[in-house]
Amino acid sequence: MATEIKSDTVVRWPDGVRLPVMLTFEHQAGEGAPLFAGERPNYMVGGAMQYGARRGIWNILELLEKFRVKTTFFVLGTTAEKYPDTVRAVAKVGHEIAGMGYSFASMRTASEEQERANVRRSAKVLQDVAGVQIRGWRCPDYRVSPQTLDILAEEELVWDSSFLNDDLPYLFETRAKKIVEIPFTTSTADKTYVGYPYPQRGGPDGLASVWNNELDVLYQESEKAPRLINLSLQTWATGRPANLRMLERLLERMVGHEEFRFAQCSEIADWRLNPPA
Amino acid sequence: MWNEKAYKQTFRWPDGVRLPIAISVHHQSEEATCPMPDGQPDPFDYSERQYGARRGAWRLLEIMDKHGVRGTWLICGATLEKYPEVSRAVQKARHCIAGHTYAHEMMCNMPPETETALIKKTITVFEDFLGEHIRGWRTCFASHNTIDLLLEHSDLEWDGSMWNDDLPSLIEGHGREMLEIPFATYSDTALGVDITNPAFPPTRFSTWNANPPDFQLRGLKSAFDALYERGAERAVMMPLVVHDFITGRPFRSKVLDEFLAYAKQFEGVVFTGHDELARWARQSGEFGKK
Repeated sequence: MATEIKSDTVVRWPDGVRLPVMLTFEHQAGEGAPLFAGERPNYMVGGAMQYGARRGIWNILELLEKFRVKTTFFVLGTTAEKYPDTVRAVAKVGHEIAGMGYSFASMRTASEEQERANVRRSAKVLQDVAGVQIRGWRCPDYRVSPQTLDILAEEELVWDSSFLNDDLPYLFETRAKKIVEIPFTTSTADKTYVGYPYPQRGGPDGLASVWNNELDVLYQESEKAPRLINLSLQTWATGRPANLRMLERLLERMVGHEEFRFAQCSEIADWRLNPPA
Repeated sequence: MWNEKAYKQTFRWPDGVRLPIAISVHHQSEEATCPMPDGQPDPFDYSERQYGARRGAWRLLEIMDKHGVRGTWLICGATLEKYPEVSRAVQKARHCIAGHTYAHEMMCNMPPETETALIKKTITVFEDFLGEHIRGWRTCFASHNTIDLLLEHSDLEWDGSMWNDDLPSLIEGHGREMLEIPFATYSDTALGVDITNPAFPPTRFSTWNANPPDFQLRGLKSAFDALYERGAERAVMMPLVVHDFITGRPFRSKVLDEFLAYAKQFEGVVFTGHDELARWARQSGEFGKK
């Protein structure tokens, strides 16, 4: 089992970067929707999530292109198979593609063999569809097994982003090698506030208040200590026009200011492994 | 068995105190992690909560320091053992420190022998790690025995486990007395939507289905405004409960920051710990219905 490397090393960002910003999109097409009892289909939640693969991701790509922001997309294997053009479009403009499982199945209690097969199959699908070699991972339900980090490291992945317990990246020692953990949180995630057909918890305006506060506080704290903004976003939630407008306003606050640096997870992982001089 | 003596409706706080605000920081980090249906701890919920000791508690300490307000830190024994540096900083900042069970147990499920052992164990942890003999206590999920056991097996001066009043009451039993200082729902959990707790499995998609911060700030301010008005005529208090892993998140910490900046402008608003509330209540004295 992987153990955290406790370290007093101060995380450093490259010169001139005060606050790195990561928009980490999770891209699925309804595989994560709970079925109704008896395995009956759930077109309500399932459909709301399918929106991301049909429409949301294209809306998001347009917005990111407009602001010339590059970021990281976690793509579910089955979604890549069903909607390959969306994944190719993501890769083509230079966003990072990372893994989040082949299907939405939880690996929390999976055997080591099952979990390894899941990582390999995810990596292969994304390689076949988009020609990319994944370097990072986020569990689709954010629930790691005791051996998740060991397996990721053995499969040559460099970083994971399934934990929610810190403001800054840190390192785990695994059976194979060190792996970088880049924590996030569902507390600031779009789906927590505007996720499902109903209920909404504050609506787009409430979501904007979450993001604005997060930016205000972390920006202020970053004057004295390293900080990082890591937002978990669903292509099916932020991809909706009303929610996307909130992201656009957030980007308007940051884009063009050199202190903010939009980063991909792999850049953050590399900076953590080899701190910039 | 025990008896309680409620204070008269005409109870007053000391002169100059119109509205005491007792911030209770629940420093429990991952101790109340929800179980998955198979009984194992949910790694997602665990990780979200562990933010509390790693980052959230430090941020709350800084905000309280910035505003110069004192409060009460309710600390689980296990949290103190795992993250002693946080509690040492709390102690150094001279906040009131109290016990919050050992591992946030649901005492309502426990036999009295187990509950007694956990109370004693927790008190010992504070002595071992902080050199402090604690005077106060809160059990979120109390049992029918909790008050009796605290009276019988500890010398705690106050308990804050009850949710049933605006004012303290005096509790007598087992040859001694103790103040009950109840809390209420002016809290970060009450301002959420569907807050998971260890009584239930986690929700499928999110551990914290929270209301957004603009809603939370509005809720706190409107509660404060009403209590401040009432404080002119009748004694009342505002027990403000925040958790290290909830309000300790950057975007929610700003709600506390802004609320403190707002509330402290008003004359007669006093931020204080439960130890001082207990002292004030003892001095005030008159019991009875009216």
